[in-house]
Amino acid sequence: MVPYFEFQNAVKLLCGELSLERISIELELMGASKPLMMSDAVLAKIGTLETVVKAMESEGLSPAATFTDIPVDSSLAVVNKIAAFYREQGCDSIVAVGGGSVIDTAKGVRLVLSQNKEDILSLSGLDNLVRGRHVPFIVVPTTAGTGSECTGVAVIRNDENGVKMEFLSPYVEPDAAVIDPRMTAGLPPKATATTGMDALVHAMEACTCQQANPLSAAYGTAAIRMIAENVEEATRNGSNKKARFAMALASTMAGISFSNSMVGAVHAIGHALGGVCHVPHAVAMTILLPHVMRYNLSHCGAAYAELLPWLVGADAAMATPANKRAEAAIDAVVALGRSLKKICDIPLTLKEAGVSTESFAKVAEVAVNDGALIVNPRAADEAQVIEILNAAY
Amino acid sequence: MRALQAWIVAIVLRVVHAALVELRVLDSRVAREFERMPDGLSYAIATGHRGPTLFVKWEGGKLKRLAELEAPSCALRIKSMPLSFRLFTGQMGLSQAYARHAFTMGGEVADVMRLARLVNLVEAYLFPKIMTRRIMTDVPETEVCFLRAYARIAVGFLTCKYKLSR
Repeated sequence: MVPYFEFQNAVKLLCGELSLERISIELELMGASKPLMMSDAVLAKIGTLETVVKAMESEGLSPAATFTDIPVDSSLAVVNKIAAFYREQGCDSIVAVGGGSVIDTAKGVRLVLSQNKEDILSLSGLDNLVRGRHVPFIVVPTTAGTGSECTGVAVIRNDENGVKMEFLSPYVEPDAAVIDPRMTAGLPPKATATTGMDALVHAMEACTCQQANPLSAAYGTAAIRMIAENVEEATRNGSNKKARFAMALASTMAGISFSNSMVGAVHAIGHALGGVCHVPHAVAMTILLPHVMRYNLSHCGAAYAELLPWLVGADAAMATPANKRAEAAIDAVVALGRSLKKICDIPLTLKEAGVSTESFAKVAEVAVNDGALIVNPRAADEAQVIEILNAAY
Repeated sequence: MRALQAWIVAIVLRVVHAALVELRVLDSRVAREFERMPDGLSYAIATGHRGPTLFVKWEGGKLKRLAELEAPSCALRIKSMPLSFRLFTGQMGLSQAYARHAFTMGGEVADVMRLARLVNLVEAYLFPKIMTRRIMTDVPETEVCFLRAYARIAVGFLTCKYKLSR
């Protein structure tokens, strides 16, 4: 047991059918009536944003303004621009509809507004902010992977140096998150598979990093089981509402888990691959997980062994000799990745993801400066990160 | 008790600065960290409520110790004196301190990671392995005998090498 830990999740979760229709009343109860809708161009085009707006309007609340020009890999400049737009439009709350980039951007905007600043760069840090002005903030995740709807961290790219910056504070957590199965129903198979693996990485790193604690492990292990049981079906048969809802919930639980115990080397290297080589976050997570597990094995084999029942079920885990369970957990992750590749041809190597080995040195240099590495069960220097990258190539 | 802890922490903070100055000469990994450090990068380390502080700035190829620092690049505040005492007496590593929410930080996480690598190397020289094994997941090997580091630090203090810069 860790000698000390902290746990916080102040996000109200609205989970299940017809939850979108509750957004209006939640905003009203927070004293808000002029929300800024934030999303991206794709979600606006395919009608996902409209579904949310219609649900809100059906209960008497219309957006005061809409901003949909959020890129896949959002930046500090985008955050500052939207904060200025919010002020110009006289908004009083935020509703973010999207995946990790939209939600993290919205968290950044909320932080700038609540701290009454112009530039988010001045707010970077760890637990260093005082509680600011309350800006009502609701998120509607449209992927089942980031868990960002329930985390106290926003990861936003700094265009000046290409580094993904972390803003860690309980005050970036939204007031409420809406987990409505309608939002992930149209997610394509590849995105379903990789974002599902992203959620798996959140849960597995949260359960094995130095900051792991009993409460984060409770959420993390439950998330692992739901992902292991549902990610293949959700990928194969996107219209399976039960599997979709299970994945959405698992993603949220994994988010709560890692928000309270951090992640590890998979994320540190994945962030660097995103910043340097523009590998989508969920793809990087999918590729790196088994390789980082092998790297960490000497330092947290017992923790991996404990995850085996959640990955393959109690019977299969019990049938595995105790001294083989950690390796079996890695094998289970590899098997899951291969199964998903068979279903929808996701990349499982860095080569398949279009990464060049020439970029490895730069990726390693960025990765060792990522905060996620500090709590990884095993230390890693640049040479060791390059070893992992080579193994994943 | 708190006063004694604060007194010891104040001494260790001075020794940490001295060790960084000397290990830059003795250890290639420390030297490399400083080579890569942007000129003007500064750290403010505060311990507990009105406890001892350390302000350092990497400027002109020197790690200067300052009396005060108005806008540090990275400001660490250890949340209490007992935590500071543990951190600076080899009872808790920096990664453990992070994991146990022992400090707040203003600035870029990357600068904390840089500091964490340096502190790990300093601790590998200053503390015996029996202690460092308990506070680090992997203890870095020392490149030279730890006695050389101690000797250089002692001479440095005797010759007032680490006095405050302006």
